[in-house]
Amino acid sequence: MFCAVSTMTDGDYDYLIKLLALGDSGVGKTTFLYRYTDNKFNPKFITTVGIDFREKRVVYTATNSNGTTGKTFKVHLQLWDTAGQERFRSLTTAFFRDAMGFLLMFDLTSQQSFLNVRNWMSQLQANAYCENPDIVLVGNKADLADQREVQEKQAKELADKYGIPYFETSAATGSEVDKAVITLLDLVMKRMEQCVDKPAQEAPNGEGASKLEAPPPTEKKCAC
Amino acid sequence: MLPDGELICVAFLTDAERELILAVLQRDEKLRRAEEQRVRRLKAELLDIKKKGAKSGSRTYSNRSCARCLEPLSPLGVGYCQGCNHQVCCKCRAVRSNGFWVCNVCAKEVDLKKSTGDWFYDQRVNRFLNSPGHNLVGASLRKRPPVKKRETVGEVLLQSSEVRHSQPIPFRQPRQKDPVDFNKGTIPEASDPPEPELEQRGNVGKGSLGSYRTASETSVASWKDGLEAEATDWFSIASSQESIQTVLGKESHTYSSISDPTSILHRVNPCSEIIFFEEGLFKNSTSRAQLPAEYSTEVPGGSMGDRSKSVPGLSMQEEEEEDIDKLVKVHRMAAHRSDFSLHTSMSKSSLDSMTSMYSEAEDYTSVEISGDIVFSLGYDKPSRTLSVFIKECHNLTYGDTARQRSNPYVKCYLLPEKSRQSKKKTVIKRSTVSPIYNETLKFSISHSQLLMRTLLLSVWHSDLFGHNVFLGKAELPLDCRDLDSAHEECVALRGKVILHTKSFTPYKGQLVVSLKYVTTDKPSTDDARVPFSLGKKSGGGELHILVKEARDLTPRKAGGATDSFVKGYLLPAKTRATKRKTPVVRMTLNPHYDHTFVYKDLSLEELRGMCLELTVWDHEAVSSNDFLGGVQLNTGTAEWSASTEEVSLWQKMMQYPNSWAEGTLPLCSSMGPSK
Repeated sequence: MFCAVSTMTDGDYDYLIKLLALGDSGVGKTTFLYRYTDNKFNPKFITTVGIDFREKRVVYTATNSNGTTGKTFKVHLQLWDTAGQERFRSLTTAFFRDAMGFLLMFDLTSQQSFLNVRNWMSQLQANAYCENPDIVLVGNKADLADQREVQEKQAKELADKYGIPYFETSAATGSEVDKAVITLLDLVMKRMEQCVDKPAQEAPNGEGASKLEAPPPTEKKCAC
Repeated sequence: MLPDGELICVAFLTDAERELILAVLQRDEKLRRAEEQRVRRLKAELLDIKKKGAKSGSRTYSNRSCARCLEPLSPLGVGYCQGCNHQVCCKCRAVRSNGFWVCNVCAKEVDLKKSTGDWFYDQRVNRFLNSPGHNLVGASLRKRPPVKKRETVGEVLLQSSEVRHSQPIPFRQPRQKDPVDFNKGTIPEASDPPEPELEQRGNVGKGSLGSYRTASETSVASWKDGLEAEATDWFSIASSQESIQTVLGKESHTYSSISDPTSILHRVNPCSEIIFFEEGLFKNSTSRAQLPAEYSTEVPGGSMGDRSKSVPGLSMQEEEEEDIDKLVKVHRMAAHRSDFSLHTSMSKSSLDSMTSMYSEAEDYTSVEISGDIVFSLGYDKPSRTLSVFIKECHNLTYGDTARQRSNPYVKCYLLPEKSRQSKKKTVIKRSTVSPIYNETLKFSISHSQLLMRTLLLSVWHSDLFGHNVFLGKAELPLDCRDLDSAHEECVALRGKVILHTKSFTPYKGQLVVSLKYVTTDKPSTDDARVPFSLGKKSGGGELHILVKEARDLTPRKAGGATDSFVKGYLLPAKTRATKRKTPVVRMTLNPHYDHTFVYKDLSLEELRGMCLELTVWDHEAVSSNDFLGGVQLNTGTAEWSASTEEVSLWQKMMQYPNSWAEGTLPLCSSMGPSK
């Protein structure tokens, strides 16, 4: 599914997809992204100043409507990392609108960070490019089982309420990290297809309208 | 792109933090540049494919040939593209993921929307611009380029930290004071001729910046606010604060290279190009603007803002980069032949015709219009050819006022089509104000089509430098004309103000609307901080337009009903930002829309110079929407035409804020162009 590309600044890719990680301070956004892009873990806590981003190039394989795999595309991911700290809030939320998908993260060992998911959700709804952007809920630090404060069931329920996928990840072990990001990427790519496959805004395709009566369902469900 | 009134306060950041963020933004910029290049390349590919496609709207083709490759269609292989409704052969089709096919241009269009990210930017534009809207309204009002669709927050923030030109012309960058290592590769440095005058004006040191900051932090809250502020303010600030340099950018388009110094002020659009910033986020950056060498005339403080207003359209040129939608527009139009489309205005034209539209866009008002044109029209039914015989013009105005001369030529379109293919020109006659052409321009068009067209004859002064000056025009609706016998006519040339031939136009029904100007008493934004504003200060009032109903709409087919909707624009900005639409009301000639459009943050003064254009459209499933009629509400003194009813309703609205002014307006069958 992935291939590492050394020169990241060239334009040799098919899609530039911008994702953004958000959540309380210290839930592990930076280490999560670091794990994802470089497959490394840095246990030190260095608070992010305002904003940052990491890049990774992946190969995405489209799935056709009949379930077969279709074309492959080179996707350049720009993964925005945001400061969780309140003092940077006005800066970070401004960046929400430039992202196509969101990794909403909380810390499985912190009930408070989980409670704040709601707030982050409403921040997203207010500031993202649309009111129901593609989001994946990520409970991080799954490796710290003995300190866990948030139960999977709780988090899953919340995710279901929002209709978004939920993953329990560990940046320390790398567990589920890739899957969470790829799931989000998949959602974004599907949304993209839906956006363009919709008949043109003002002049829906006519002649073929009968054929078009069953457009791909527009509900946003995870494909995994 | 940013919600209005939103301030990103960065005063709390330490210097170290600012530098860190700046570094991130610079990395982002690198990526963005690569992306921009890629997008440009992709769009060029689309153009390429489109050019290869053969059918265009101005010529007639056999119905039995493929619209893309022109190969004859076999009876079995006939099919209509879902996207553009052209008949296309099997080879020129692409199967989409939903299992259906479209022609290869439409397929490329869809692919491009995805790969360029336009699917995302289009949605985002809707979200952030449709509701507040006024940001752009305000911006375009002042003839400044509105926020670009693809602009990102990172870009805006970064821009605030350095002088940046939207145009890729070389200019000097005030580097010496920059504390951080900027991306040197991205901005050409010191490659332009020396600008002695500016250099003197522009020695800005850190110290003076500091004082500037203190003194003006309340008056110019930020770069963004600066942009929103009247140009005149900038200049007054500039003169009072020695520490800032004002700088004029110049139009980078080739046509703006001019030889006539007296008209410099008309041709330079100061607002669109001035990059003005104050160090909001990154305090060591210098504020500076620049004047390219050939424009180094001293700018009289305060007057530029007003003058720039006399240059309509300049901002339009920059406002929208080639949209994918636009790139395929002609392709679509060719198939639909919509009877009348407002989309032929310059900003919506295809790339193909950009150049010619650009040339038209400028200097519409810079000369007094005089003179007339003598011509005759004839239509030959067997060959389906409209012949426009241009005989001569009399007493034209001088296109080159300095040298008192004109090199006039006549350009001809059959509106609404305004593509390059449909443009016909006479030769250029040199140094005369009464040129004799005796030239016949031919249009191949069916008779039924012809009746729905309007002949536009415009006279232009051709300049050596390619900067053509508009000398006047005549518009002739062809529906009520005897085209069988060619007789000579002499018509006075007019300026860009279109006089509606309302008295001659058929009854198209009525539109019932209510207007209300709502004054708001919002508390002014907190200016005590040193805010880094990404939005506009809120203020001013709102214009509410209740589109109630239409009556007696004319169906496209006799006896038919129509699915219609109303589209609104607040001119002069015919952009997505001011576009509003009602839902479609189905199957009636007397639709009740009961839909309200809101334009925010407008002062009464601004409204005085604006025009509310409401147009009723037949919502067509198969082809593009059909124009059913429209109204243009304005004071009647501006550049738009208006009937007395339209003027009086507009004035009533302005006269009685906070109360509804209702009017029943006759729909007009053609709309004066917005410029």
